[in-house]
Amino acid sequence: MNELKSLEHATLKVPYEVFNKKYRNAQRVLDVEARHVASSVSELDAATRRQPVTTGEIDTLLGGMVEKLTAMKRKASEAITEEVQAAYVCKKRLEHLKEQATALAEPNTPQTSLNQWRKVRLDRMLVDYFLRNGYYDSATKLADARGLRDLTNVDIYAAAAEVEAELRSQRTARCLQWCADNKSKLRKLGSTMEFKIRIQEFIELVREDKRLEAVRYAKKHFSTFEEGQLQDIQHCMGMLAFPKDTDVEPYKSLLCVDRWAALVRQFRSEHTRLLHPTRLPTLPLTLQLGLAALNTPYPFQLYLIIIICFTQCYKESTKVSACPACQPPLNALARTLPHAHCSHSRLVCRISQKPLNEHNHPMVLPNGQVYGEKALKEMVKEHGSIICPKTKEVFSMKSVEKVYVM
Amino acid sequence: MDSCTGVEQDLDKAISKFNNINDHTNRVLQDVINQVEDLRREILKQPTNTPLSQTQSTVVNDLAVSVKDTVSQMSADHRLLHATVSRVGKSIDRHFIGEYASVAPKAESFCSDTNRPIMEQAVAQHLYRQGLEDVGDTFVAEANIQGVERTCTFALLQRCASSLAEGDPSAALQWVENRTQDLQHSPLPFTLHRMQALKLARERGVGAAIEYARAQFPAHAARHERQLQAAVCALAWCTPGAGPAPHHYHHLLDPKALGAEAAELFVREACALLRLAPLSALAGAVAVGARVLPALHDIRAKMTHPHVVAAWADDELPFEVDLGEEGGGYHSVFACPILRQQASEQNPPMRLFCGHVISRDALNKLVMGAKLKCPYCPTEQLPAEARQIYFS
Repeated sequence: MNELKSLEHATLKVPYEVFNKKYRNAQRVLDVEARHVASSVSELDAATRRQPVTTGEIDTLLGGMVEKLTAMKRKASEAITEEVQAAYVCKKRLEHLKEQATALAEPNTPQTSLNQWRKVRLDRMLVDYFLRNGYYDSATKLADARGLRDLTNVDIYAAAAEVEAELRSQRTARCLQWCADNKSKLRKLGSTMEFKIRIQEFIELVREDKRLEAVRYAKKHFSTFEEGQLQDIQHCMGMLAFPKDTDVEPYKSLLCVDRWAALVRQFRSEHTRLLHPTRLPTLPLTLQLGLAALNTPYPFQLYLIIIICFTQCYKESTKVSACPACQPPLNALARTLPHAHCSHSRLVCRISQKPLNEHNHPMVLPNGQVYGEKALKEMVKEHGSIICPKTKEVFSMKSVEKVYVM
Repeated sequence: MDSCTGVEQDLDKAISKFNNINDHTNRVLQDVINQVEDLRREILKQPTNTPLSQTQSTVVNDLAVSVKDTVSQMSADHRLLHATVSRVGKSIDRHFIGEYASVAPKAESFCSDTNRPIMEQAVAQHLYRQGLEDVGDTFVAEANIQGVERTCTFALLQRCASSLAEGDPSAALQWVENRTQDLQHSPLPFTLHRMQALKLARERGVGAAIEYARAQFPAHAARHERQLQAAVCALAWCTPGAGPAPHHYHHLLDPKALGAEAAELFVREACALLRLAPLSALAGAVAVGARVLPALHDIRAKMTHPHVVAAWADDELPFEVDLGEEGGGYHSVFACPILRQQASEQNPPMRLFCGHVISRDALNKLVMGAKLKCPYCPTEQLPAEARQIYFS
């Protein structure tokens, strides 16, 4: 099991879904065009049977057939080329993954190139997170700044961004078009998107006081309702009896403009659900697991206090903590997480941040605080005595004792 | 690697089939069109108002039937590719794991209304730290984030680093010039000078490089003797018309690899100098998280037995993860060597009289009457002689 296998499913699956969709599309184009050609064939057939027929008529019919065939040729070629291109997007991502897979399999790859790839991965995660949360500008800018268009879904989401922009300006045409394009998949997911849009259009008609038109609209679109939607329809129809600035619920909230924002949110989540196999982007997931793995059971609040003391007393000899789980703002997230499991001691000198081992022996001060031998010696060299960074008590090097940790 | 090649096989098969069908469709349709056109020309040899003869009618009919067959065959052929397409999808599902809910049941909580802003703050911080101010500003505006500073320190460092990665060390050299004193034990200055010399060799010829090396290298000769020799030797392959370089000079002669390495060294050294963490908090945590996930998937796969369900308790990850040299190791963790448990406030580490450290619970278990024998050395002692110590 490696990082690729466990993290990169969506990297390939999303372009695959696009590929699959293009395949279906191409199949539909071929079917439709084949039907057109077939209809011109049967016309020809009927004509030859209806004796007598002139060569001129046959010629026109044959001309029509050639036109249909040429159209089919053009459209089929377009559709299939699109399919192939979608497949190549998959291929490109796979190449990128393979790069890292080869590097991981090769034992003496320089750490630099592994780190470089991980940096790209973080950027990809960020773009993915931005897209799935509707931060389209940020996603595009980041992808462009890092040259990641091919490896991220920016282009796939461009259409979604347009639909959202339209919904925000209270227009529905593109969203309905999207619903129609993905009808079967949306039905499989039990989506209410189209129904919600229809209701919203009805509400807008009422808001404009075109009530008769609203009734006609309702006749056309609400008659094919599905289970569980009846109550919503009843509310809508009830609305017809009230003025548009009514205070009566539920009509007041139906007429509320905030519903458009809710539609945008619903569209976003359903669009993502169609494309992505999982609900959650990888960024929060890895962030959470990473924080949990860095989280140490006892307590980082204490640790933070220590750092503050350090920076006050020993500005020269201490570094600000590099631990992601200690720094704001992430420490707020880490607090609620499980912490790392640990069955072997792993000691770090609180002064130098260096590991404690046989080369840098852990030493205990008379007050029970443990620090690294090297840091204590350096402190003696600098100040002549040891000042416990935690309690500020002063000790001499003689009073310090070794500690053996197995 | 297996997972990649597995998917690749299926994908390549699909791509080649689609390319074939594209060619095939084009060719066959063109053939059909030509046939029809031929027939048209044949028929038009007579004036347009002559009635169609019996033989001509049969020919037309035959052609009509063949056109219909070809076209429907074409759409049927394409339909057959469905299996190939869906095999790619299945292959992706089989070779990669797309399911996280079972290994990280709480992950959803990071997208809650309280946690999301915190996470996004960290994201904005990260973007600014990468020197991507433009992206950062857009993100702050789009996600409506409060309280993130635009730090310029990092932007400057990152700009130096990215121009290094592109092969231009001048900005970084200037940064280093101003801090010669602080960097006297660091390999950074020499690495940058070496890069500049090799760059000069590529751009302005070996002569310029040697001149540069004469001026800059002596100061670093003592600390980097071997590398200095290698760098000067590498110049031999910088002249036009030189043969392929031996293997161990490849690295020096590849400007991209050299640049990436120098960029990383630069960020590390500069952050150490400024007492900053080299990775942003977000990058650090995500890198560690990416290491944890495969291990979690592994154990998840093994834990089908009901007895192990208890290990998925809420307060501890179920196993230890090696975080490598760069990840982790920020805090001391004392695990009692007897009980193999992490110490806690209720069960703190105790230093025995002989200096060995065990946890208090272990100590209490080891007491025999009034005496205690250290489990690691022959010393016998009184339990009261042990005292509590603090690692954090």
